[in-house]
Amino acid sequence: MLKFILRRLGISFLVLWAASLLIFVLTINAGDPLADLRESNAENRESLMALRTEQMGLDLPWYERYWEWLSGVGGCFTGSCDLGTTVNGANVLDLTAQAAGSTLRLVTLATLLAIVVGIAAGIVSAIRQYTGFDYGVTFLAFLFFSLPVFWAAVLLKEYGAIRFNDWIASGDMEPPMILGFALVAAAIIPAVLGGPWRRRLYTGAATFTFVAVLLYVLNVLDWYRNPFFGLAMVLLTSLGAAVLVTALVAGLGNRRVLYAALTTAVVGTLSYLVFAGVLLEPTWLQLIGLFVLAIVVSIAIGAAWGGYARKQAMFISAVTGVITSGVIVFDILVAHWAGFLELKSRPISTIGSQTPNFSGDFWESVLDSGMQLILPTIVLTLVSVASYSRYTRSSMLEVMNQDYVRTARSKGLSERAVITKHAFRNALIPITTIVAFDFAGLIGGAVITERVFGWKGMGAMFQEGLDRVDPDPVMAFFLVTGTAAVLMNMLADIAYAYLDPRIRR
Amino acid sequence: MKIRRASAAVAAVATGALLLSACSSPASDDQPETEETTAAEETADTEEITDSCKVDTGVTESADGEIQYSAGEVQWAGYNGNLPDTYSTYNSVVNDRMIGGFMYFGVDGTVCQDEEYGSFEAVSEDPLQVQYTLADDATWSDGTPITYADYLLDWATQAVTVDGTITEDASEEPLFNNVSGLTLGDYVPEGPQADSADAKSFQYDYERVYADWQLNVSGAFPAHVVAEQAGVTVEELVTAIEELDMSVLEPAAEFWNTGWLSSTPGELPDPALVPVSGPYMLKEDGWIAGQSITLTENENYWGTPPATKELTFRFAAADTHVQALQNGDLDVIEPQATVDTIPQLEQIGSSVEVLTGQTLIWEHLDYNFGDSSVFADNLAAREAFAYCVPRQKIVDDLIAPIDENAVVMNAREVFPYQTEKYEEVTAESYDGRYDEVDLEMATEKFAEAGLEEGTEIRIGYSAPNPRRADEVAAIKSSCDQVGFNIVDAGDPEFFAAGGALETGDWEIALFAWAGSGQIASGQNIYASGRPQNFGGYSNETVDEAWETLASTVDESVHLEQTKVIESELWDTLYGIPLFAHPGVVAHSADLENVRFTAAQDGIVWNAEQWSRAS
Repeated sequence: MLKFILRRLGISFLVLWAASLLIFVLTINAGDPLADLRESNAENRESLMALRTEQMGLDLPWYERYWEWLSGVGGCFTGSCDLGTTVNGANVLDLTAQAAGSTLRLVTLATLLAIVVGIAAGIVSAIRQYTGFDYGVTFLAFLFFSLPVFWAAVLLKEYGAIRFNDWIASGDMEPPMILGFALVAAAIIPAVLGGPWRRRLYTGAATFTFVAVLLYVLNVLDWYRNPFFGLAMVLLTSLGAAVLVTALVAGLGNRRVLYAALTTAVVGTLSYLVFAGVLLEPTWLQLIGLFVLAIVVSIAIGAAWGGYARKQAMFISAVTGVITSGVIVFDILVAHWAGFLELKSRPISTIGSQTPNFSGDFWESVLDSGMQLILPTIVLTLVSVASYSRYTRSSMLEVMNQDYVRTARSKGLSERAVITKHAFRNALIPITTIVAFDFAGLIGGAVITERVFGWKGMGAMFQEGLDRVDPDPVMAFFLVTGTAAVLMNMLADIAYAYLDPRIRR
Repeated sequence: MKIRRASAAVAAVATGALLLSACSSPASDDQPETEETTAAEETADTEEITDSCKVDTGVTESADGEIQYSAGEVQWAGYNGNLPDTYSTYNSVVNDRMIGGFMYFGVDGTVCQDEEYGSFEAVSEDPLQVQYTLADDATWSDGTPITYADYLLDWATQAVTVDGTITEDASEEPLFNNVSGLTLGDYVPEGPQADSADAKSFQYDYERVYADWQLNVSGAFPAHVVAEQAGVTVEELVTAIEELDMSVLEPAAEFWNTGWLSSTPGELPDPALVPVSGPYMLKEDGWIAGQSITLTENENYWGTPPATKELTFRFAAADTHVQALQNGDLDVIEPQATVDTIPQLEQIGSSVEVLTGQTLIWEHLDYNFGDSSVFADNLAAREAFAYCVPRQKIVDDLIAPIDENAVVMNAREVFPYQTEKYEEVTAESYDGRYDEVDLEMATEKFAEAGLEEGTEIRIGYSAPNPRRADEVAAIKSSCDQVGFNIVDAGDPEFFAAGGALETGDWEIALFAWAGSGQIASGQNIYASGRPQNFGGYSNETVDEAWETLASTVDESVHLEQTKVIESELWDTLYGIPLFAHPGVVAHSADLENVRFTAAQDGIVWNAEQWSRAS
């Protein structure tokens, strides 16, 4: 394996080098770096042009300019990295670090969400092949896939930001809005659950009533402006998640696993009380520490309950622990919402990754940057979800029709065990490649999203560099995205070995 | 196969629990707040302000609050905005709020004096001697008085060459990377003169007359900071400049060239290094990399305090501005002036006010006088073309929808909104013969010029540019009737080195000059053999008039010569002016004192006067 990785690294390095040469030459020939000066009628235009020519080395042949860049990058191996400067005199290394940071923040959540939602939608639509739900998912997948990002972003800003902000000023849901939401829920949930028409009709009616009443009650309570969640709800949600995860992965018949998960949920909720002081005004480090602690404790609980199903119990406990932590954070954020609204009466901005000069406490600042993450994340997720759900569906369908799945069924295994244990894992193999590629692509490919939402990420750096025919930022962009692509590919290969026993050596 | 029933039911219940959890315990009993109405009342300040300079708004104290503006997505680059790296609109919108100066451009491009900062006057016109006097209480934000030393350093950055001499003809390599080059040193080789380093009054003796003397000196950077960085006192720095002592000037230049450059976005410079002389200063922790930079009130400012305490510049792409304004993320925007912008802004409703007007950028058609061109040495051919260009139609179709007051521009050196001057100049230089398309006249001239039917006229411009493509289409539909064959020669490389403009592969060039408020800058465009005279036009009367104009500071002579130049350029047809580019500004209706300006400073020119109606 090590030899394989090393060989892959060696080849990737050569590929990166050759590509860097190509990109460099293409970039410096992409336009006229003096264009803005040529149309200027400043008196010392000539000397300004001469200065920039000297600064950017425009009078040098391309290979000398490339060599200068390459030797600067070569310095990274000896600890004196120099990625050059932009036309505006900014240090490209610092710029890249900042841009990469902001892009990662943007892309990570979107990728995770897309994986979860996309794969879930894919599996369900494969299981419910040729039903209304399947057609619905297919339709939406193609719709999202062909969505022009800039257009979707403008629409999202209009409805997700401007109209939402107008609405939250009163936080009052009109009856047509409530009925609309209830109808949508009533259409989706029976389709997912399936069953004969009568059952669907009942589930649909129940869902409709439930959602409508719920929204109405929330409205009466002015919940949207002054939301409240509470410890009881945290416990209830965590327990619900524990049961759901167990039901999906191990089956409720496995009592040991179920008890492990339930214990985790209870312990997690109790720990909320214990750490309440820290959680109210934490630092990021404390928060991460607590999260790690939560996972460790969850795994320990799983191990203690586990018995014959130790491994599974540990896994499910850990997942429950993560979900419980999430629910706790959600509760804290909900509690801070009213205060946040007071600081920022229009909670979702159309531009920027945070509100300038925002003066809230820790959680209010989290809410502020979280709100700013919502719209771009939706855009990026929609596009990725589309392809993931299609790939998962087809690969799942293929696996489901294989002989060994029929064998598993004829052994008398439950449908859940067949799907999650036998089919799903094998269906994942092709998806890994796509996810890895996609993540690498998103780092550099979120150009339009970043621009439209005013995030200064890798895409913006690339675009500005190219606009001004300034090779240094473009090359820095290439270095990061190129390396990410290579690394992600390798990770996919390693994940293959893990997922597919046939190529494990 | 179905999921076993019991499990399915439990899973369904679990899902229900997840959904249920969206429900809540009762919240506080607060009544929902009354909906805020965004509808703005009719603004009272509808009366026209006639003074083109800033007018007193009666502010005595800075009000708490923040106003947000965005010039575009390019980040702030550093305190020294006079370096070639940092000299850009994006940077100067921020820096101009921090560095005060003797002069600024008024709304129609006239030169205004900032009397709170100081005053200046030409004590003698020939030889030109200009006396500058700083306000007595003018101090840097760190308490150091603003003095002669600051202006001597300012001059030195535009005069000293890398060899430690004063520039001879502005062509040497400078010691300081000042974007203005060595022009000032070329005209004022002696430098400003004063009694002592801390004098408040000083005089520039020009070696030869410079028509645009008023623009030469305005703001300055703090000499005491530079002196400290070079390891000397201010007096020693002054002596070093007078004696051209390179052992002091070299470290000073090193600091001037690099020490005020903020090369890591988000990291503000040490406050001790960046004292300010204007109403605003950098706010501590106010720069978020890639997001925004905030200025805050300079509490030691001696003049009128800024109307609003904080001013935030966000780095957002221009195409996001309209929605950001609508959502309150920006308070003032200058969107691209396209035909689509206006309805888009009007749709927002009364929470936003829209201002339109003309800018100092003006569009024109220039003839090629090169050998290969049919227009060279053929006045009749140029006239034939001028008669068929539908100038009024172009303005009506493409510009009037943006700015309803738009008019066809009939001059080159003065703009329609400089009403009095414009009318005086055009009255004498242009009789209105090309106002309306006159196809008969054009055909007559076409025949007289001896041109063949279908003579190809390539109109070159920097593509892609939809508006210019539309202009060419309008010209084609009119001029093809006369016998020309208009060809749209738009090309991204038109202006590039080796592009069509340079090789001469064009008959007509369509582009815009950005007026700079300078009086004599046109000499580079219209006089023989000048670098921006792309078409190769040459006319003795024009050359002579420019010489006269550029060598005096007498405004009546300027006006006289402008008339001579304009009328000669019309008679011999250097080119055809079309229109001044329209500008659009929109701001939240609760902001007061936002004033449209034609000058290149943009809408932020009076940002310190913007205030939010309470």
